[in-house]
Amino acid sequence: MAVVPNTPLGPKQVTGKRVKRPERTASVQAYVPELAKGIGITLGHFFKNTKEMALGQRNDPVLEGVEDGINTIYYPEQRRPYPERFRGLHRLTHRADGSPRCVACLCCSTACPAQCIHIEAGEYPEGDPRRGYERFPKRFVIDELRCVFCGFCVEACPCDAIRMDTGIHATPYDSREQFIYEKDILMSFMGRDGSQQSENPRHEPGDEGHPGIDRERHGH
Amino acid sequence: MSTFKLDDRTIEFQPGDTVIQAAHRAGIDIPHYCWHPGLSVAANCRMCLVEVKPPPGRPALMLSVLHWDEEQHEYVDQKKPKLQPACQLGASEGMEVMSQTSEHVARARAAVQELLLLNHPVDCPICDQAGECRLQDYWLEHQGTKKRMRDEVIHKPKAQVFGPTIVYDAERCIICTRCVRFSAEVAKDPVLDVRERGNLNEIVVSPGRELDHPYTLMTEYVCPVGALTSRDFRFKARVWFLRSVRSVCVGCATGCNAFTDYDPRSQEVHRYRPRENLEVNQYWMCDEGMLDYRRIHDGRILHARVEGERTSVEAAAKKAAKLLKGVPADHIAVVLSAEHSNEDNFALLTLARDYLGTGHLFVSGRPSGEGDDVLRHRDKNPNTAGVTAMCTSTPPLSMPVLFKSLEEGRITHVVALGSQLPDADKAPGFRRCKALIAVSTHDGPIPEHASVVLPASSWAESDGTFVSANGLAQQSERAIRPLGDSQPAFRLVTALGAALGHSLSFKQVADVQRAMAPDAGAALEGNATPAGISP
Repeated sequence: MAVVPNTPLGPKQVTGKRVKRPERTASVQAYVPELAKGIGITLGHFFKNTKEMALGQRNDPVLEGVEDGINTIYYPEQRRPYPERFRGLHRLTHRADGSPRCVACLCCSTACPAQCIHIEAGEYPEGDPRRGYERFPKRFVIDELRCVFCGFCVEACPCDAIRMDTGIHATPYDSREQFIYEKDILMSFMGRDGSQQSENPRHEPGDEGHPGIDRERHGH
Repeated sequence: MSTFKLDDRTIEFQPGDTVIQAAHRAGIDIPHYCWHPGLSVAANCRMCLVEVKPPPGRPALMLSVLHWDEEQHEYVDQKKPKLQPACQLGASEGMEVMSQTSEHVARARAAVQELLLLNHPVDCPICDQAGECRLQDYWLEHQGTKKRMRDEVIHKPKAQVFGPTIVYDAERCIICTRCVRFSAEVAKDPVLDVRERGNLNEIVVSPGRELDHPYTLMTEYVCPVGALTSRDFRFKARVWFLRSVRSVCVGCATGCNAFTDYDPRSQEVHRYRPRENLEVNQYWMCDEGMLDYRRIHDGRILHARVEGERTSVEAAAKKAAKLLKGVPADHIAVVLSAEHSNEDNFALLTLARDYLGTGHLFVSGRPSGEGDDVLRHRDKNPNTAGVTAMCTSTPPLSMPVLFKSLEEGRITHVVALGSQLPDADKAPGFRRCKALIAVSTHDGPIPEHASVVLPASSWAESDGTFVSANGLAQQSERAIRPLGDSQPAFRLVTALGAALGHSLSFKQVADVQRAMAPDAGAALEGNATPAGISP
């Protein structure tokens, strides 16, 4: 058996760069010069902030996060704009007739890692043109307290029925029950562009020209 | 035993076996839609095509086909072997069959799969079969390509009501005719048939009829795709959320083997599926049994009651003990139940015989109903044979005898398991007794007249052994946690015994089974073992 020489057994040796300790020079030992340096930095910020505040020279709230200067904003009055793909509270998109686009396939609740989506599927009554082609959510409940805002539900949805583009972030409430969003609340939200309808281009069953036609109309 | 070769394995077969049958018995799955071990061979789906090597010294049967050559940009003549359907091909000694190893078979299966999906609506998100659909499974295994046809698909009727239990979607149907064959061969009611030809064909119910024989849900069960769906299960749950346990149907004395499918998150049972047991139910179950899971949630007694008032189990057991204290043993009757498992009955029997000292044993149960010569038994209780076999020294008497004794005042106190009476009209007879203590799962004539009701959990909430009419002791596994305040009946009997000052120690099912072993010995052997009960 070939033996690899000089291979140490056990855990791997730790390797790294040796860093020099800060030296205790005379000025450090004397304490006062270092103190003065520290106060200098603090005062520098103080005068800069005071000047900017007096002259109204405020940085761009998005960019200031990456620049030097005042890194805080006066939160509820001032808000940082959210990035375009910010995942806010969920909404259910509408069809042209105002009914939910959702077909209650439960793909979102399957994808949900927090198991916060509860859906009860219903069937259209006999005679309805959508019967057999679609089902609809009798109940659609999201527990926003459990939600981890990962956006998997949006990606799993096969018909653009659920979105997180409301731009509203999780709202504080007094009680847990208030975080349970039912279908009507979810349908009342709109996207940040003000839209409520889904961008699913497909025809609705029952529309003129929808391919789903029964045998009587099809002639076979 | 004769053998043949399938790919690189040697498969044993019995005379008359087809290739797919022998492979199925050996645990090898040759992909198929229309073949079912319990039905006749139709060989119409062409999914199980296999390549068979010619016998030594004989030329192979070759077909001449046109193959599109990408490089030459034209069709060229090509030879390929004639493939055979494994479901129709009889196995013979020394035969060499290629299923997974043949390039031609792989191409043929991909082509069959593509053909079957040609007019399929691919509406998996709203289809109940999604997750257990053969089309989905075989697409992954054998096809894996996108659809090439750009034409509008053929449209056919959707969500057609076939009967009280079944809805049919013709667009999803692959016309494997399993449902047609099941109705004709097993249910003996040829009510389904195929209409039209080619890609326009669909399954229809005979004019003037509905799909309403007692085994309609089996047509849904044999359907390999989402064409037939159960109206009961429709849109209730996605199958990938469900978990299964092996259970035994308690709808009648046949004791069909089943899977109980339940949602572990909501602790709710959603359906039964038949479980293969060739000695009992083969592959099937009846509608009555399939829908019997509803009783797990419907009409249940979830809290202890004393004189109709809700109370805790402990308080109810204390009250029951107070009623029974000081009553002479020969004034107490104990009613066993054919609705309950061996374990529950044995616990009560132990309390009666060894602690209360009464010899007045009776047996109650659900009234008998319709039966047939396929699966359904007239006795609608799952454990009549088990209870009868358990009382070795004194066989239990029937309920009319109890009511007569109550009438004559020879018996004043009754401890009863179960909730139903064979003859519900007799229930007012209980008014004659001074105290009726019921250990019941469901509302019914017994708990209705009881002064103390203890809430027993159902068969789905505890393990249990049931002895079927033909003497098989079969174990049913626990699916969900006990609902409400309910507890397994043997534990309630232990609580009652403790309140009376007796030291019964039945905490787990295993405790009861250990105590039961010398008594009801064979009843513990497990699935499909004769319990040694004389018929």
